[in-house]
Amino acid sequence: MGLRITKRNHCPLWQKIVFYAAAIVIALLIGAVILISIGVNPLDYYYQMFTMGTVGNRIGYKTFMNYLNDFVPLALTAVALSLAFKMKFWNIGGEGQFIMGAIGAATVAFQVGPYTPMWITLILMCLAAMLLAGLYGLLAAWLKVKFNTNETLMTLMLNYVALYILTFIADTKADWNFFLQEQSTRPVFKDFSEFAAFPAIPTGGKFELNICVILTLIIGALVYIYLKYTKHGYEIGVIGDSANTARYAGMKVNRIVLRTVFFSAALIGLAAAFKVGTTGVLSTTITNDVGWTGIIVAWLAQLSTPIIFVASALISILGCGCTEANASFGQVSADFADILQGAILFLVLVADFFTRFAITRTKKGGKVNG
Amino acid sequence: MDKLGVITSFIHNILVFNIPLLYGTVGEIIVEKSGSLNLGVEGTMAVGAIFGYIVGCFTNNLLVGILVAFLASALCGLLFAALTVSLQANQNITGLTMSIFGVGVYFFLGRTLRAADAWPMMNDYENIKNGFADIPIPGLSEIPVVGHGFFNHNILIYLGIAIAIAAWWYLKHSKPGLRLRAVGENPGAADSVGINVKRMKYLHICLGCGIMGIGGYYMGLNMTGSFNSECWINGYGWIAVALVIFANWNPALAIVGTFVFGFFNTLRVSGSSLAAAFPEVLGWLAHIPTQLYQALPFIITAVVLVISSIRNKRGGSGLPAALGANYFREER
Repeated sequence: MGLRITKRNHCPLWQKIVFYAAAIVIALLIGAVILISIGVNPLDYYYQMFTMGTVGNRIGYKTFMNYLNDFVPLALTAVALSLAFKMKFWNIGGEGQFIMGAIGAATVAFQVGPYTPMWITLILMCLAAMLLAGLYGLLAAWLKVKFNTNETLMTLMLNYVALYILTFIADTKADWNFFLQEQSTRPVFKDFSEFAAFPAIPTGGKFELNICVILTLIIGALVYIYLKYTKHGYEIGVIGDSANTARYAGMKVNRIVLRTVFFSAALIGLAAAFKVGTTGVLSTTITNDVGWTGIIVAWLAQLSTPIIFVASALISILGCGCTEANASFGQVSADFADILQGAILFLVLVADFFTRFAITRTKKGGKVNG
Repeated sequence: MDKLGVITSFIHNILVFNIPLLYGTVGEIIVEKSGSLNLGVEGTMAVGAIFGYIVGCFTNNLLVGILVAFLASALCGLLFAALTVSLQANQNITGLTMSIFGVGVYFFLGRTLRAADAWPMMNDYENIKNGFADIPIPGLSEIPVVGHGFFNHNILIYLGIAIAIAAWWYLKHSKPGLRLRAVGENPGAADSVGINVKRMKYLHICLGCGIMGIGGYYMGLNMTGSFNSECWINGYGWIAVALVIFANWNPALAIVGTFVFGFFNTLRVSGSSLAAAFPEVLGWLAHIPTQLYQALPFIITAVVLVISSIRNKRGGSGLPAALGANYFREER
């Protein structure tokens, strides 16, 4: 008797759901073991984490607004990355593209903001961010189609180049540097919220809904339609399955790759514009690691646009929830979120295996038994 | 300090601050030669660092610390191998998750111990402190100017160089090394001549990750175990991923690469003292923004990556052909 692994052609939806739910539950159980070992009641902790401390809290609505502000860039970045991933183009450069987008948006806010109405400034910020981030992504795609340069490693390098451009801007007091406060002797980023701040929609109560949340949902729906019902979306899928098939079918593969990567990176730039248009100020940690986390979210969601929104909501809860729970459970540092997130993804990868492969027992002669 | 002393300490610092890059790079070369791209170097080093440091201090034994760092990181490798080799998970995703997870474990463990007032301070542990002290190589270390720079170091620096040379010999001249390269180039062909592809991958992923762990442990020791808001590894794992490309997947060239990257890294820290010692010749160093030094390793690597991909069309690159692709026997 031996074990034999074979590819499954089909996995029923209910089984998939059971596998993935089990993965998340087991990850939470592992987390519970860690919590118990440092003397924390896991039920209490998880309650605080999942409710993000909003229950019975007078300023709970603020926590929820912060949560949405974390959710928007993450969801949009993950949606954007899924476009490239569908094509098996490994865009690891979300961090760098986000930073470029943020720099582009802030430049417009400072240079154009004082002279134009705010809504024009905001639109120009979005466009500048998309263009700059898009071109930054396009560089890696161009090298890929021209020289077959490994895009995983290239986008990885470009992340750090972008990061150090941003820290250079952040640390350098100079006449040309309009990003910093003039009156301060130490380098401090200047606020531009008076020229550029995305409007919030009043909901009657104290809670205000940032318009970026709605825009992100609309963009998500558009990307879903784009991928599912347009010729472009179809081409992306074919290239993802096999670039050679696409070539035989007469598709201009290089052009499609360039177009899609530009689009993917531009959407990440848009996420950055949403972020800086909400915070009103640059920072060296402006990305909040969405370029990395977005990759995990896109993969958790199996690159399905609707599920990306669910997964982003969940992962953002981990991040915000662990920070909030830290207020009541001082001994559990907020890094617990990273451990949970890692455990969930590792276990989802295991679950993924069981949806794609079947393990069958074989008798000595190699005959498959069931 | 006299002028020559500035040069000596500059050379000395290149090794002292950058040897973890060599550990990370050599470890990643071994992993990548098996055909697996592990982007989890940063997290793997962080896990080795924290476990090695804590256990090393509590047992007051440097060797135990090194072994625990190796084992903890090898376990990260085992997890990576189980997911990517046996369970066919995507390598990029698994590696990235390992980086986030590993750094998370590092901070969680460190902050938990700090909150409980149980964080060990390295200077309280004589054996660790003394074990990490510089050991001059007799004769060589007395050469003027360069002697102290090159031949008066702690044991882990010598070990790092030794591991790099051993890895070079192993990959280039040993029989298992040849087989490993075959697995990385074409696992299907290697399988058909009777090489156990799975076992080769498992063994070398664990071995490579274990070596990274020692580098992580070094970083903790070199900072005398001070634990603050920045991770000890602080991006070195990512530079190591870059350095693998720069070294063209050759552990011997990785030593050279460590010097080149280390040179810029040290300029960032000591550039101003060089400028002060030699104002006429090197005065301009004081005006270069530190971010340029930080970005240079990545810019150089990006350029090397492009050049090697152009060259790759004509052969000569050390990039394993099957890098990043999982091997599934049924699809051979």
